[in-house]
Amino acid sequence: MLHTVSGSRTVVETQLAAYRYMLRARLLDEKFAALYRAGKIHGGVFLGRGQEALSAAIGISLKKSDVFAPLIRDAAGRLAFGEPIIDAVRTYLGSALGPMRGRDGNVHRGRPQEGYLPMISHLGAMVSVVNGILFARRMKGITGIVGAACLGEGATSTGAFHESLNQAAVEKLPLVLIVANNQFAYSTPTSSQFACADLANKATGYGVEAHALDGTDFSDCLETVGSAVARARAGHGPQLVVASLLRLCGHGEHDDAGYILPEQKNSPMGRDCLKVAEDWLQKNKLADPAQFAVWRSEAIREIEEAVAQAQREPAPDPYEEKWSALSSEHLNELRES
Amino acid sequence: MSITYLEAIREAQAHALRDDPRVFIYGQDVGAFGGAFKATKNLQKEFPGRVLDSPISEDAMIGLAVGTAIEGMRPIIEMQFADFSTVAFNQIVNQASTLFWRTNVPCPITVRLPFGGTSGSGPFHSQCLEAIYAHYPGLVVMTPATVEDAYSMLLSAVAIDDPVIFCEHKFLYYHLKAEKLPSEALPIGKARIAREGRDLTIVTYSAMVHEALAAADELATEGWQVEVVDLRSIKPLDTDTVVASVARTGRLLCVGEAWPWGGVTAEVIARVAAESYGLLDAPPQRLNAKDTPVPYHPNLWAAHRPTARSVAAAARKLIRF
Amino acid sequence: MPQIPIIMPQLGESIAEAAIINFLVKPGDQVEGGQDLIEVETNKATMTVTAPCGGRIESFSAQLNESYAVGDVLGKIEASKEEAARFGLDAPAPTKAGDTETITNKPRSGTGSRVEPTVRGLPVPANASGASYMSPRLKARMQELGLSAADLAGIAGSGAAGRVTVEDFERFMANLEQQKLTKASSMRVAVADAMRRSWTRPLATVGLPVQLDAVLIHRKTCEPKPGPALYALRALAVALAENSAVAGRLVGTNIVHPSAIDVGFAVEAEDGVLVPVLRGADKKPLKELVLRYNELVELARQRKLPADATGGSVATVTNFGTFGLIWATPIPLPEQTLVLGLGAGRRMPHWDEAKGQFVPVMEAYLTLSFDHRVLDGGAAGRLLLRISDLMRQPEKL
Repeated sequence: MLHTVSGSRTVVETQLAAYRYMLRARLLDEKFAALYRAGKIHGGVFLGRGQEALSAAIGISLKKSDVFAPLIRDAAGRLAFGEPIIDAVRTYLGSALGPMRGRDGNVHRGRPQEGYLPMISHLGAMVSVVNGILFARRMKGITGIVGAACLGEGATSTGAFHESLNQAAVEKLPLVLIVANNQFAYSTPTSSQFACADLANKATGYGVEAHALDGTDFSDCLETVGSAVARARAGHGPQLVVASLLRLCGHGEHDDAGYILPEQKNSPMGRDCLKVAEDWLQKNKLADPAQFAVWRSEAIREIEEAVAQAQREPAPDPYEEKWSALSSEHLNELRES
Repeated sequence: MSITYLEAIREAQAHALRDDPRVFIYGQDVGAFGGAFKATKNLQKEFPGRVLDSPISEDAMIGLAVGTAIEGMRPIIEMQFADFSTVAFNQIVNQASTLFWRTNVPCPITVRLPFGGTSGSGPFHSQCLEAIYAHYPGLVVMTPATVEDAYSMLLSAVAIDDPVIFCEHKFLYYHLKAEKLPSEALPIGKARIAREGRDLTIVTYSAMVHEALAAADELATEGWQVEVVDLRSIKPLDTDTVVASVARTGRLLCVGEAWPWGGVTAEVIARVAAESYGLLDAPPQRLNAKDTPVPYHPNLWAAHRPTARSVAAAARKLIRF
Repeated sequence: MPQIPIIMPQLGESIAEAAIINFLVKPGDQVEGGQDLIEVETNKATMTVTAPCGGRIESFSAQLNESYAVGDVLGKIEASKEEAARFGLDAPAPTKAGDTETITNKPRSGTGSRVEPTVRGLPVPANASGASYMSPRLKARMQELGLSAADLAGIAGSGAAGRVTVEDFERFMANLEQQKLTKASSMRVAVADAMRRSWTRPLATVGLPVQLDAVLIHRKTCEPKPGPALYALRALAVALAENSAVAGRLVGTNIVHPSAIDVGFAVEAEDGVLVPVLRGADKKPLKELVLRYNELVELARQRKLPADATGGSVATVTNFGTFGLIWATPIPLPEQTLVLGLGAGRRMPHWDEAKGQFVPVMEAYLTLSFDHRVLDGGAAGRLLLRISDLMRQPEKL
């Protein structure tokens, strides 16, 4: 896996790298949306538009030896954590050669043994699995690692969220729980989701440290997420990071998001983090439009190559499929002869 | 020297902890307290750092177990009562059971479910959930009926590279005793002929094996020889042994302590009817608990679940058909 | 004064027994209700057994360091009636957990119904009791041995509603071995199979005397001479040509009409009966049928019938009169609805209106056995009358 170690980079290098992951994620998402509209993708397509800054900040703050449990809008974080583009493309297309081999698709992808967890659809359910990995590593005497789990604000309403955050707090695990408050759980606004003034307040109740940030602000994301990850790594226990932002798309590509109000779109929260990042990089003289154009065309080429490759690859064959849910094959039931 | 079913479970865990550094135990009150039933008594002292108390968070307990399994550990999770595993249902049936199939990463976790009715336990400390877990692909479901099986099957459960739902019957914890622990056992997935007979086959598992054996004793005094098949594990289910028994007897009665809708007894009958219709000399029958929550008062409870008496009555009716 | 038992209580989840480790009071002591009496040890913890009510300890039956099961009596307290009543101990002893006998056999108030284990689906269906009910295993076993349901007729079933169990069957088969067995010929087996299949339908028979004088006169004019059965066959063919529906077969809710009036006739052969067929018997006059008829009789007796001369007929004629029988109820072949029988001719007195006296006539019975699902007595009778009419005018045949 392609991996970067943030510690060995200068701040500027990190900022530039984060921007490029955001850009690649945005373009990859757009490619998936196009393939979806062309009928090339079965099932749903879920975009991270508006969440790239937060997501990239998470991925780039982690080391290869850390644990990452992304959610549906984390294309940027996945890339930053080292997922090759081809893994994403193969999974969306259901390729037999992808990490999920056509058995699972789209955002349900990962490589658990590399600390990169494939989400199940039940929200909050991945957090305790991250806890488990951290728990096991601690038992094995491995230190200095962090586990990051991504959630939306909707997932904070689940029992799994409560159980797993409490569990991590009780066990003082180096868990960083990042809540992207993108204002809507599918179509449900935050007013129907929780009644507390600020989700970050919840940290107090669990006895964990809290961090709030502006998810549209590229540098705030890098700085605050980076510091939360560093606190966890330094042994300060679980960290709850709450990012405020707005989902700049539907829940999935099937959703026109008519419920997102114009005033929300026009508010500072509705800023496009990619644009904010570009402005910021330009203002700080770290990149110029010509450079952005080069990066963009590089990313498009990479993505198109991956799509072309995956489309040429064989689809999974039901006759070749083992149809075995157990790794202990001799214990399988009702096997067809 | 004798050893109870519960002690066998404790011994199996001690054995697993001793033999395999990847094994640890996680559950409510399992640490210094030794578990609600004392199934982990003294284990924390004997294996420091490897027998750990959890908060009352069944969902997170299983999620954590899956995470440790990904890291190559072999957790044993004690649900205080099987009934509470419903809180962890999502993690068991969606996380643990799908992991291998989705990712090719094995999920060797053992979930111990102290299950089944005991006098006075009522609706929320008596449930039999084996069929619900067996319904899901990717899980192995064990239901030992003897002290020997409780021991050897728990060792197997820990050794198996897949999630195992280990259903240990609370009624058998103290009642059942054996002289010593076994040194060998039938393989997982193989049923046991608990008693040989030629007039009727009773297929059952767990605590009901003993009710069936008592019923068989009663029927023997009336001149009938009842064969009792102890399934041992309900998933995988040893259809071959069941069919071979029905080939000998022509009559099948399935007994389960679980509720009647669907379930193990229905599954056994469906398989026998589909695969060996021509062996049946009488309509296959089943006897289950009543279709209500498990009642509290002993009188109601004893009438709610199958007992030796009701098993014998059902068997008699079937023999006379 | 009532003696109240001190009982080993249910000391916790799944505790089956506990050992006595200490008596805190001794016989003769006065105790309060709820007072600790005995220390016991379970697998889990040390606990105490308390007094069920106030009174004097009458005795302890339990021994130190012995284990007692939950529910066992450990001793007795002598208490006043009032004291016993105060603790609700004056009611009859409750039934012990796990013993369902008393409740399963106790009538419910009002309905009188009993709580019994539910085992439904067992009764043999009322329309299939006795030997006609065959379990899947019995069917499979009989198929294995090449037996049919009719073979069970001789077995007294010991199962529900007299059904034959596999054990009954195996016993019966074992007993057969002890008797003389001869192999049935393939012809016998074929007839048996046809009759067994035929008997699955409701069959009825009607009969009618027919005067044969005209036939007997007419046959002398022919060369070779047709037998009376051929007259009957031709008359049947002509009658069916007029209305073939009565020879139709009922399949489901449809009457399947015959596509041609091919009529068979029974010929006795060694150890069985063969049924050669005259094709298109309605299309050719009697005289043209004789040679073919005679030829088929001869071939049948030699058992050399060509394939095209058997099967596919719509009805059969059987001349049981050749055995000297005047009446019979033959069975139609399984694929046919009708069988026409002809009895032996006899000279009978017949009242002649014109002469005002009895005159002798040659008379035989015609019988018609039929599938009652397809036609009723009336239709069968009309068909028989038509055949009888035609036989009285043989020159038209």
